[in-house]
Amino acid sequence: MPREIDLLGFYMPTLLPVFILAFALQWLIDSLLGRLGFYTHVWHPSLFRFSLFVCLFGAMGLAFYR
Amino acid sequence: MNPKSLLRFLLTGAIFAVAIVVAIALWRHYMYSPWTRDGRVRADVISVAPDVSGIVVDVPVHENELVRRGDVLFHVDAERYRIALAQAEAAVAARKIDYELKTREAKRRASLSGVVVSSESQDSSASSASAAAAQYQEAQAARDTAALNLQRTAVLAPVDGYVTNLDVFAGDYASAGRAVLAMIDSHSFRINGYFEETKLPYMRVGDAVSILMMSGGPTLHGHIESLARGITDRDNPSGPRLLADVNPTFNWVRLAQRVPVRIAFDQIPDGVVLASGMTCTVIVKPHGMQAAAPTNSQNDTATAPKSP
Repeated sequence: MPREIDLLGFYMPTLLPVFILAFALQWLIDSLLGRLGFYTHVWHPSLFRFSLFVCLFGAMGLAFYR
Repeated sequence: MNPKSLLRFLLTGAIFAVAIVVAIALWRHYMYSPWTRDGRVRADVISVAPDVSGIVVDVPVHENELVRRGDVLFHVDAERYRIALAQAEAAVAARKIDYELKTREAKRRASLSGVVVSSESQDSSASSASAAAAQYQEAQAARDTAALNLQRTAVLAPVDGYVTNLDVFAGDYASAGRAVLAMIDSHSFRINGYFEETKLPYMRVGDAVSILMMSGGPTLHGHIESLARGITDRDNPSGPRLLADVNPTFNWVRLAQRVPVRIAFDQIPDGVVLASGMTCTVIVKPHGMQAAAPTNSQNDTATAPKSP
């Protein structure tokens, strides 16, 4: 997996699209969990959301960097 | 009520703990794993200069052509050197006759008795025979030099490689010692990876390396051949009157300097075009990680589809 992507001549880290992808995924999961009423079982919803995003992004980033 | 609130707390706490671990892992990987985007393809560049001066009469090679060692790159006009060789050969012939004459003379005088020829005359004829022998040798050496000059009018490729920056054409005057073209040794391609000094502890000679060219193409493989043992100390150029001129740097804000690491290709696949100076990304697989890498990547690829 290349570590940089060429966007109209700008080279940027592959982590950037990974970040955007993780964000989209997070949004999907978040709306799903919200609809299912999962957040009533969570102590601190915003901390949970943030942690979920970090987990998603971190896992995908580590996967791409191997 | 109480166990339920404990569950709520545990759920959030657990995912928060996992997030911290993952974030640290990613940070460590990004900041400390030995890789750099600042890699350059390098090759030996030979500046080819003629050994003798003269007008260039013929340039049989073309720019960027692959030539073999010993192929003719260009010819310097040989006429002058041919004449010089003929002259030197004539001098050799003259010296030879002179030498033979003086030797005969010395022999003859030496065989006569002391009554007919004085011993001084015998002595001087023997000396002049020796001097003629030395001059004969000198003329032979001059002829060899002339022959060598004539031979060097054909400038040969010193290595297998590519003719680059061909700046000589038929009719040019080529001066001895002034380079007129560069040759890239085709067997000497390698990578110089400029690694931050903070990443050097994670690298060892012999470590496997993946190379991704900026131009794309397949991943190339190599290994660390050696690490440079010196770079310029930019903070301490010697100032005027030989006093130190130390830069007043910030205590905390500083850039890791970069140290060149020489990387040899294991094998260059067919179809991969390398040019000295090209940019590439270099990823080192350290000793410890090398064995663990396949299992890790399997784990990661397994978790990646699971997380959605």
